[in-house]
Amino acid sequence: MKAPSKPLGDSLGTHKTQNTAEQTMERLIFSLSELEHLGQTLISGHSNFNHSSKTYLRITLGTLQIRRGAILRYHATGQNLDVVAATPESMFSPIPVEEDELEALLQHSFIDNADPPEPLKQFFARSAELSETIDIRLWVPLKIQDEFLGMIGLGKFLARDTLEAWEKELLTTLTHQISIAIAYSQMVEGIQSEKFRLFMLAESAPQICQLLQPEDAAEQVVQQAVSLLDANAGALMLTHTEQQELEMHYAFPETLIENTAAQENGDGLVISYGEDTPASQEPTSEDVLKSVVKEGIPGHCLPTSDTLFGGKNLMAVPIPGRDGDILGVLVVGDKEERGGRITSFTDEDVVLLDSFAKQAGVAIQNAQLHQEALEARQLQAEMEEARKIQVNLIPETLPDIPGYEVAGHYEPRGPVGGDYYDCLPLATGHWGLAIADVSGKGMQAALLMATLRAGLISELSRAESMVGAGLPSPYDQSALYAEIASMAMILNSLLYASGTEEKYATFFYSHLNPETDVLTTLNAGHNPPLLIRKDGSYKWLGEDVGGIPLGMFPNDMVSSIAEYEAEHVQLASGDVVVYYTDGVTETVNVEDDYYEEERLVEASQACKDEHAEAIRKYLHSSVMEFQGEADQFDDLTLLILRKQ
Amino acid sequence: MLNKFDIQIREAEEHAIIETTGYLNDALGEQLSEKAQELIQGGCVQLVINLEKTTLINSIGISILIEIIEALEEREGTLNFCGLSSTQERTFRMMAIAKYAGIFPDEESAVANL
Repeated sequence: MKAPSKPLGDSLGTHKTQNTAEQTMERLIFSLSELEHLGQTLISGHSNFNHSSKTYLRITLGTLQIRRGAILRYHATGQNLDVVAATPESMFSPIPVEEDELEALLQHSFIDNADPPEPLKQFFARSAELSETIDIRLWVPLKIQDEFLGMIGLGKFLARDTLEAWEKELLTTLTHQISIAIAYSQMVEGIQSEKFRLFMLAESAPQICQLLQPEDAAEQVVQQAVSLLDANAGALMLTHTEQQELEMHYAFPETLIENTAAQENGDGLVISYGEDTPASQEPTSEDVLKSVVKEGIPGHCLPTSDTLFGGKNLMAVPIPGRDGDILGVLVVGDKEERGGRITSFTDEDVVLLDSFAKQAGVAIQNAQLHQEALEARQLQAEMEEARKIQVNLIPETLPDIPGYEVAGHYEPRGPVGGDYYDCLPLATGHWGLAIADVSGKGMQAALLMATLRAGLISELSRAESMVGAGLPSPYDQSALYAEIASMAMILNSLLYASGTEEKYATFFYSHLNPETDVLTTLNAGHNPPLLIRKDGSYKWLGEDVGGIPLGMFPNDMVSSIAEYEAEHVQLASGDVVVYYTDGVTETVNVEDDYYEEERLVEASQACKDEHAEAIRKYLHSSVMEFQGEADQFDDLTLLILRKQ
Repeated sequence: MLNKFDIQIREAEEHAIIETTGYLNDALGEQLSEKAQELIQGGCVQLVINLEKTTLINSIGISILIEIIEALEEREGTLNFCGLSSTQERTFRMMAIAKYAGIFPDEESAVANL
């Protein structure tokens, strides 16, 4: 780097009073040397004019033998002049420039600070602080053709009141060089900025598309957008299409929405966009976001109308999904300029953010799909676990009951069903037969079924131990009624405590005494089993004394609505009891007809004289034949008990 | 991390380490520029800028870093960066910052190569 030249005033210190041809020649030689230096500075690759401005000012002042001066650079976006170099050094506020003042500045090559043209009097009044501090006498607008780039202000001339003609020509050349430097700097800054933006766009898009966690994707999308647009804030709001709501997903910085009313309520920021909002002269930020998501086009909002993010200059673009839907809205706020100024977003900014939002949409959907795949995998694993639990609950083989035949069939609709049946031996030599239909599917249903079975076994064991202790007698029918009803209440309490209102089980329990052939039953909201007598007559068991399903209401409510009641029936040789779940009677055929109880009765009557296993097969075939090509909508369970 | 905003300076005998925290935009960049200029004016022209806690930079931040490089170049000083993310490193190479300043993985190697 070339060493800075000495100011001419210093080198000529001993000749200040001379005004000779020799001195003029010396200054011209110095000026030529400095112009070369200016040129070198310009092409040295040091693109930033603000950094080089002190050098330009020093050369200009030195060449013209002026001690004080300032260079001001014009910012078109902010419409103001910024002091980038001053001798003596000092801090000055930017000076606003009106549109008509710009035109006037472009029309003059030199402006006397003491006698400005009429259209510029206001401007010079605004720049009085600078003029007085630097003691500016002459202003020279910096421009290239019709583009205003800035101004250079020159202080008191040494040993003369005005510049000579040749000095003005020299000043014109110098200011032209400075103008070129500013224009060059602007061009390079613009290229660098665009280069940075395009690189970041190309770099960030594939990166965010690789993020698999939706939260990470949201964070990166917002931060990259903020960086790309030179903004100082950003937010991602995602749509909930059904509710027609926009919900804040990520905000940068985190304090961005601290002061909104929604945040104060602790609900997070949610904007409903379903209702039409009345058109207003100056839409608020909330109106803009609604419009962006509804119309799918970018929107702007002025700081004065921003009611959501604390008064920011906002730009919002829709985030498109793969199917043309709108996933959400990407918002950036307060575009920065060098020097802390906030400027408006340009049309190019809209195009850039819109392009980025398209990539963001892919990234967000990728992450969402990944999340859904993970959840599906987790659900699949859960269903497999549930299936294992349920398989263990359904008996693999049914026991031999002296004097009876038993057969069971269980056919879940999906991997995990909600039906259950069992045939449990009791210590007294009696048998407990149960059938149940648990609401829902999957792990929760399997766990509820496991709870029911565990409760049933526990209650039956407790009852048996009481019998062992002498109370009550297994032959005491009224005691048995009470015992079974009590068991139902305990099971109800157990299921109610372990589930929600939506989780309940219909349940039918039968206590079989094979010695007396008395079948004592209790119905908790289940389909009444069918008793087919040997002569073909039939009866629905528990039809008249059916209580409500287990686990639906607490015990005190059950007591007040419909208490569980037991009843009994005497079985005879050739009698068949068909236990089933609603998957049998509610089987639908291709014509949308239901199988219904009548068909079950007819089919049961047709096969009643067969062995229990043959009855099971016949009934199953009957249902399947009826169903035909139609889909199976529910689990299908049959339990057959036949008195030999 | 990005919501915080801080500059820490650790000066040694012949060099100084500037550590930034937060979004390197105009606000943080101006602070960084001011601190760097103070060090340079004070004669410390061997600098390391640690950007480990600055994961986000905008174009103004980049231009401020270029200015610091230019200021050091005038004084025949050296600037090394460390703690850059892979994206930042690629950005610095693309923006030609890496042509005038060294890029090192950690402070130790950045200081050793001043």
